[in-house]
Amino acid sequence: MAGLSISSVTKRFGETEVLKGVTLDVADAEFVSLVGPSGCGKSTLLRIIAGLEDPTSGDIAIDGKAVTGTRAADRNLSMVFQSYALYPHLTVAENIAVPLRMRSLSAVQRLPLIGPFLPGAKEQRSEIATAVQSATEMLEIGPLLDRKPGQLSGGQRQRVALGRALVRDPAAFLLDEPLSNLDAKLRVQTRAEIAQLHRRLKATFIYVTHDQVEAMTMSDRIAVMMGGEILQCDAPSVIYEDPSNIRVAEFIGSPKINILPVELANTEMTLFGRVLGYITEAAQAGIYQLGLRPEALKLTQAAPVVTGTVAHMENLGSEVYAQIALANQTSRVTLRAAPAERRNLRLGAEVGLGFSLKDGLIFDADGKRQRRVEVAVTHEREVA
Amino acid sequence: MTRDIWKHLILILGAIIVLAPFYMMLSYSFKSPGEIDRGTGGFFGAQEMMVDPRCVKLRDPNRDEIAAAAPQYPGRSDSEIRNAIMAQAEIDCSTRPVVFNYTKAFIEAPLLRYLLNGLIVTASIFFIQVLVALPAAYALAKLKFWGREAVFGLVLFCLLIPVHAIALPLYIMLAKVGLTNTYVALVVPWTISVFGIFLMRQFFMTVPDDLIDAARMDGMTELAIVWRVMLPTAIPALLAFAIFSIVAHWNDYFWPRIVVTGSRDLFTPPLGLREFKGDADGSFFGPMMATATIIVMPLIVAFLVAQRRFIEGITLSGMK
Repeated sequence: MAGLSISSVTKRFGETEVLKGVTLDVADAEFVSLVGPSGCGKSTLLRIIAGLEDPTSGDIAIDGKAVTGTRAADRNLSMVFQSYALYPHLTVAENIAVPLRMRSLSAVQRLPLIGPFLPGAKEQRSEIATAVQSATEMLEIGPLLDRKPGQLSGGQRQRVALGRALVRDPAAFLLDEPLSNLDAKLRVQTRAEIAQLHRRLKATFIYVTHDQVEAMTMSDRIAVMMGGEILQCDAPSVIYEDPSNIRVAEFIGSPKINILPVELANTEMTLFGRVLGYITEAAQAGIYQLGLRPEALKLTQAAPVVTGTVAHMENLGSEVYAQIALANQTSRVTLRAAPAERRNLRLGAEVGLGFSLKDGLIFDADGKRQRRVEVAVTHEREVA
Repeated sequence: MTRDIWKHLILILGAIIVLAPFYMMLSYSFKSPGEIDRGTGGFFGAQEMMVDPRCVKLRDPNRDEIAAAAPQYPGRSDSEIRNAIMAQAEIDCSTRPVVFNYTKAFIEAPLLRYLLNGLIVTASIFFIQVLVALPAAYALAKLKFWGREAVFGLVLFCLLIPVHAIALPLYIMLAKVGLTNTYVALVVPWTISVFGIFLMRQFFMTVPDDLIDAARMDGMTELAIVWRVMLPTAIPALLAFAIFSIVAHWNDYFWPRIVVTGSRDLFTPPLGLREFKGDADGSFFGPMMATATIIVMPLIVAFLVAQRRFIEGITLSGMK
């Protein structure tokens, strides 16, 4: 088990720059998710860490040792692939044993027929069998050992792929969207199992996913990647509550965060011409973007900040999401309401919305978080 | 419905055209020379006892033999004794045509030796072809290197070169190194099969990259990936290639005819057929066709056994 450090890694494929200088340090036994939309370079970064791809520039170090020129096999990393990539001609037990066989047996000892009778081979083989046994017990795939991958379901294949990865105590586990080929129910279950596995093995995990729920639920830290860069790398709660970039705020959170244009002029902050707050400290005047999570919006009759009509509703049982078309505006906002409030929400109903400015996140026109403006404004009176 | 009938009619016609030579070959291998000449006897021939004229001729007694046999025929003249011996020879030398044809095939020519040669030559060719084609195809399909497309273009270009065009230079080269009339001459020119490289490359393209990456992570070298991962997944394609390669070289008459000039010990089965090419005394079609039947039999049996996987390989249904 070991930490990992990635410093200013770039990658070009011809003209296109896939990674634009990525720096990331992963501590020993940490679970870090690389999350981002498809094409953001997260899989490329994982392949560079694995040694399957060479970076155009930059360095990778595992446990303090630079491994940039080292080939994949010698980095002692395990990888689980999206397609599982099991050897179709080998049984489950043989699949899991491959990494051990390739490492602990010499080329001659691996030979069919005569290999098993060479000196030392017998002990090695029994050691491998024990390791395979314990891996399969951990993953509860004991009864499948003699089957071929073609005879397994998606979830079972996924377990075998995990087994092949953890059978040899690697420096770190690299997982490339391991759950995306599973159905929704199995995905939730396996998600929990992988998180438990991480706690049990106390190993370093780097987990690539485009699914923010997976990233939020499993990771110690999430690195949100977009356009070949890491925008922010923090604990899930920080990423959600305190994003440093509007793209991070928009990517994490479902339904998406509401973005409303606000104007800072003179001493006031206004939204659609309505005063939201007053400025107490000096702040740059101009147009800003106010981000409000769906749960920050409240239904209110008395002095609503904005009004609108219910355009669409999604009832999930434990909560209700309503899209409100704002009066005299083209934009919609999404509101999360408790089931009790459902009677106020009918399609086409007129509703008033209020919010506390301290729940809002303020970004500048380029999408950078403006914490100073937030501090400057939220000290003033609250609107609700 | 009527379209189906037409389809089948055309297919049946095609099948007849393809099967007719085999029918003739099999039929001739059963018949006596007379029946073959006259075109009588149906498929199996009448299978009446026939006399092998050469066998009888060989037993024609000379003067000493007649003298030696004289005590057995007391009071007969020499010509009577000779007639009696010849009559006995005719009885001894008469066989069923089918037995005649097939025993001739094995006795007149060392057919077993030829079959063994064919086996050695085709097996060595195929083995070395695989040894060369698999790594080459893997590199062309899965490794990124400068000029890969150009190299693949050259491979495709080589598919266009007819064997006969380079036969003479090849022969001269082999002759200069003194390798004519050896197994090497029969095998070496065929060891690099561009068709094999092409076929396997197309199959390897369908193998997911993840599988190769997984193998690399598991600690396999590139060559280990070829033999431990690619080879087992490519068995159907390899079988298809095996059929092409083995059929082509088992049946090849052209190249062995060129490089095997002296020793009959190196004759491959098709060269063996020449033994029955008659000279002044007419061809022995019966034994010749019996030999031909024996030569094609291993191929037909092999095809029937591997039929299903062979078709799988041709359609190149890779892994999902």
